[in-house]
Amino acid sequence: MLVGPSGCGKTTAMRMVNRMIEITEGDILLGGRSVRERDEADLRRHIGYVIQQIGLFPHRTIGENIATVPTLLGWNRTRIAARVDELLDLIGLEPDIARRYPAQLSGGQRQRVGVARALAVDPPLMLMDEPFGAIDPINRDRLQNEFLRLQARLRKTIVFVTHDIDEAIKMGDRIAVMREGGHLAQYATPAELLAAPADDFVRDFVGADRALKRLALQRVRDIELHRAPLVGEDGAARSDGTPDIAYPLVVDDQERPLRWAGAGAGDVHRVELDDTLRDALSGLLQSDVQYGAVVDVEGRVAGIISIDLIHDLVQREEPVG
Amino acid sequence: MIAVLAQADGFFRDRSGSSCVENNGVCPGWIADHLDRYVDPFLQHVWLVVASVTLGLLIAFPLAVLAYRRRWLIAPIANVTGILYTIPSVAAFFLLLPITGRGPLTAIIALTAYTLLILFRNVLEGLDAVPEEARDAGRGMGLTERQLLWRVELPLALPAIMAGLRIATTTTVGLAALAFFAGAGGLGEPLEADKAFKSNVLVAGGLCVLLATFLDVVILLAQRWMTPWTRARAAA
Repeated sequence: MLVGPSGCGKTTAMRMVNRMIEITEGDILLGGRSVRERDEADLRRHIGYVIQQIGLFPHRTIGENIATVPTLLGWNRTRIAARVDELLDLIGLEPDIARRYPAQLSGGQRQRVGVARALAVDPPLMLMDEPFGAIDPINRDRLQNEFLRLQARLRKTIVFVTHDIDEAIKMGDRIAVMREGGHLAQYATPAELLAAPADDFVRDFVGADRALKRLALQRVRDIELHRAPLVGEDGAARSDGTPDIAYPLVVDDQERPLRWAGAGAGDVHRVELDDTLRDALSGLLQSDVQYGAVVDVEGRVAGIISIDLIHDLVQREEPVG
Repeated sequence: MIAVLAQADGFFRDRSGSSCVENNGVCPGWIADHLDRYVDPFLQHVWLVVASVTLGLLIAFPLAVLAYRRRWLIAPIANVTGILYTIPSVAAFFLLLPITGRGPLTAIIALTAYTLLILFRNVLEGLDAVPEEARDAGRGMGLTERQLLWRVELPLALPAIMAGLRIATTTTVGLAALAFFAGAGGLGEPLEADKAFKSNVLVAGGLCVLLATFLDVVILLAQRWMTPWTRARAAA
């Protein structure tokens, strides 16, 4: 993930990888070989390339667009046709779309085709320059999630350029924050970046809400929860809780939470194990009880979460200074 | 020039026969009887137009591609072809006569010179209109400059190139009517030979219009066949 304000050189850095911009000093190694020793065209054919405007060829059908690099590499017709079908299936488009022209597709479909075209010869490395930049926010979120699922299967090395720190945090394994003039401000995992920004520039860039962004990276199942004393509907104690929880939680015989016992406390606020901490916190802030009952997919109690618990967690990971 | 007219004189100034012809009317009967006289001039006309426009494209096309890559060439090429365009065609024929002599060659050279500016501009305009992102994506996927030109840039420039071809062709059909000054025949010859006779002017002039329209439609159809994507609009 290359992220930074416009003009910081993140696109330039990416374009040096496939020699769209020549390297004047230093080197880039791919699989141990310098890109400077490779034939330009051959190097580029083996690196996936996706840009913000996508750049589908308007005069070629979708199938022909996807087949661009296979054709350059001299694949035969049947192999190309099979690959086009396979890729359209991968990105969730109907096979008959292959005969259409780019102008006949929606923005989101064009974006998917751009990704499919870049994946055509299964390159180990992909370059993506703001690939979701021209998509409206709602579709962008969907395409990002779709792409994350795709990437979970394909496991490509991706150099991804974006100016959007939220996108970088969401999509990236490691993030390089760049500053004007091509300087690398920090290179870290999303969690490290948010917990320990290297300097004021990075701190400003990740935003004042970086605590919330960190919470968005963690799920409820990842943290250690409180436990409440559980009692059955008949009032019989079923298990003990941790000292933080004063009130017993009434559960049914499947251990599904029903209500808080005593002190007039009533309804239970439920949080799911797969929720992000950010969503969990948001839910707690909106509910009228201090604690939320964390439930698993079957609805059984898995623990108790509180605003204090989340607060302690953020404090613990935040280095002083 | 005198010789040209004199030669044509005997051929056409034959107005014997019906009263319609004597009264200088539009005479279907005379037209039907004398249509064969226009066949050769017509074919000469077609040849002049097709040869000139083809030659013009063969010259203007590489010039435009060259100027597209080396931008500093645009101004000098546009200036030279611009000057050629402003020379009155009759003057061009007479200027060439001492060098190339009377005949189709002289006419074709002059007519070709006229197409250059239009074709050069349109090819260049078409190439300039190729979306930058298509170029960038092409390079980024490993197309060489030559592949980029032939597989991406030129196909995308086709609508503008064909538009230029249509203008150049129509213009040349009109200008070729003056080619008889260079001794190259064409429909201008019968037209000039008896320009006072309405039936004759109508047939010769009408054939020019028909030829221009026909060639225009042919190029237009060729363009539609070659650029199916331009009609593929969000039909999904």
